[in-house]
Amino acid sequence: MKKIFFAALATAFMLTSHSVCAAIDAAEAENFVKKNTKEGIEEIIDSNISQSEKDKRFEKLFNEALDLKFIGQFVLGRYWRQASPSQKNDFIEVYRQLNIKTWSKRFDEFKGKDFVFEGTSPSTSANQIFVNSKVPMDQGKPVEVVWRVKQNGNHFKVVDIIIENVSLAITARNEYTAFIKNSPTGIDGLIKDLKTKIK
Amino acid sequence: MSKYSLLLAAFLSGFACNVHAIDNNADWLENYNRAMFNFNYQLDKYTLKPLAEGYRAITTPDIRNRVTSFIGNVQEPVTAVNHTLQGSFKDTLVSLGRFLINSTLGLGGTFDVAAGWGLKRNSTNFDTTLATYCVPDGPFVVVPLLGPATPRSLVGLTADSVASPMYWGTQHDKNYADKISYGYAAIVTINTRERALDLLNDLESNSVDFYATTRSAYMQNRQAMKNLCASSRKKTTASYDFDFEIEDEFE
Repeated sequence: MKKIFFAALATAFMLTSHSVCAAIDAAEAENFVKKNTKEGIEEIIDSNISQSEKDKRFEKLFNEALDLKFIGQFVLGRYWRQASPSQKNDFIEVYRQLNIKTWSKRFDEFKGKDFVFEGTSPSTSANQIFVNSKVPMDQGKPVEVVWRVKQNGNHFKVVDIIIENVSLAITARNEYTAFIKNSPTGIDGLIKDLKTKIK
Repeated sequence: MSKYSLLLAAFLSGFACNVHAIDNNADWLENYNRAMFNFNYQLDKYTLKPLAEGYRAITTPDIRNRVTSFIGNVQEPVTAVNHTLQGSFKDTLVSLGRFLINSTLGLGGTFDVAAGWGLKRNSTNFDTTLATYCVPDGPFVVVPLLGPATPRSLVGLTADSVASPMYWGTQHDKNYADKISYGYAAIVTINTRERALDLLNDLESNSVDFYATTRSAYMQNRQAMKNLCASSRKKTTASYDFDFEIEDEFE
């Protein structure tokens, strides 16, 4: 009897989770990523504007398209709970600036290239979906870029970028938690080190 | 050399089988790995990296592409064998066709003529073959001079090196065998390092713990290979999918 009860409970849970996952609008999520990458390539990477204007536009696009507060919280792992409110604010801000700086440079390598979209894949997390794309390169295989998109009401935000199976969020989490674990200066030391990276 | 390689392969495959239960996220060799990573880093900084930068400075992208094509062509017979072992017979024929065409019309493989005829390069190796047979990867280990690896990747590298035409093709002439093998290894190493220059510079300059970043990126790639194993193919979740939730929304 107990077994039947737990089986029924598990089935109900799975059905509920499925309906939650299915709630995300796959076509809209893909259109959201397509629109942002198109804007990024046409209006920033490939356009003939000054570097400072490029940086400004990229920052605006990045802030609109990515949920950096969500990602920032995740990458700090268990140390997020230990951080003081001011440490949390400082970390999110420095993490945001570092990402803008590094990704603006990384996306410059896609100059003259196009993202080829290949549909979506489901995610095990509620209200999240993977948008799959490839970037054909001059030599060798195309680079696989997967965008993890989170839906909140009618709004979409990218919460992870996965290039050739390497997730931005997982890599940052492994790196930052290892740093805090091994450093006597802890979270403050991490924030201080990250600040030197954005100068 | 061959005996040594086989012994090493046997030892490592045994090692790999014994460590399959270890979680890849658990870095139980961390102290050793970090020390060896720092050693390799310093060695790279003062030898290999300057060589790769020098190679980039004195060559044009076109010359480097010719070198990359040549190396790819030398690896093509090994790729063909591995496609066969993986049961991809169509890919075996493509690899053999590419080797024949590029070795002749492509001037010793320096030009990829076959790709223009629709025979695109689809590289694979013995490490991937082992992954398709569900051989466990084993823990992350930093190897002196070689860098990040796992026991299975080392077995794969050893097997591919021994199967390479640059190794067995030169064995009949003892006077030149070592010179050709070492010369080819030097070209492959410098070419590979040159191709990774920008990526590694980028990772290093943005990282607060370069070892942790390297290990994480390397192991995520290894994790993706798990989907090659027949029993895992039915699973629909991607290697990079995880429960991506946060405890308290930050306002």
